[in-house]
Amino acid sequence: MNFYPLAGKLIPIFWLLAIALIGLGLYWGFFKTADVLSDQKQYYRIIYVHVASAWMAMWLYAVMVAWAMIGLIFNTRLSYMLASATAVTGTVMTIIALITGAIWGKTSWGTWWDWDPKLTTFLILLFIYIGYIALQAAIDDTRRSDKASALLALVGLAIVPVIYYAVNCPDPNECASLHQESSLKRVESNILIGMLVTTLGFWAYSFATILMRARNIILERERNTTWVSKLDEVK
Amino acid sequence: MSEFFYMGGFGIFIWSAMATALVLMLLEPIMLIMKRRSVLADIKRIKRLEERKNRK
Repeated sequence: MNFYPLAGKLIPIFWLLAIALIGLGLYWGFFKTADVLSDQKQYYRIIYVHVASAWMAMWLYAVMVAWAMIGLIFNTRLSYMLASATAVTGTVMTIIALITGAIWGKTSWGTWWDWDPKLTTFLILLFIYIGYIALQAAIDDTRRSDKASALLALVGLAIVPVIYYAVNCPDPNECASLHQESSLKRVESNILIGMLVTTLGFWAYSFATILMRARNIILERERNTTWVSKLDEVK
Repeated sequence: MSEFFYMGGFGIFIWSAMATALVLMLLEPIMLIMKRRSVLADIKRIKRLEERKNRK
């Protein structure tokens, strides 16, 4: 298990990156931008945490599926552990995106929630994440729970492109869509910088928490091995 | 300064969105650290029990 000590060294680096990048991104987003835009007032600043967390929720799902696939193909235990470590951070990101989205919706659309395509599919993403975690927790045998939940993750992957394209509603009479089209071209450059730097910080945060969780899972699963009993942490 | 926090009347919305992200992103690592401590404590206890058993 070379991964365990390597992850231990990487975690503080990712934490530093996360704090620095999120700090810089928010500083830029709050102090280098105009207070009022043509179609949005100050509340548009929710964009920095909302878009960053929503992107992470989708990307982390893809990362989770990638690890699950590698696990299914090569039957490697570590990739399954990384898949389940990714799922919880993905869930946290999905919850942040939904709550901040609701707050933004209240100011911008006048409602906390609407069964708009983007919002509805995003809620389904949350349920798939929770389903993955619940399925894994429900089966005692780790080898079987790893495989079963990996298959669920793979099937659930279908929702990610649906979320992505959910706002590109061709005819407003056919499908009502409150959510803005996710086009970066519409975003003013200083806001874009704040948003992208914050997102990089969210990536670093995700790596840090995923590695921390992966280390916890390794310790739990390998607690009876000699290499764990020889670790400095348990002396 | 208070104008900055007021945010043209939208401060409550903006800061509660920021606070949501902050709280969840602090809670997650705190729970991970607590989990690590409890797993390590378990491993240590089992190790001590086994050492005692081996001595007998």
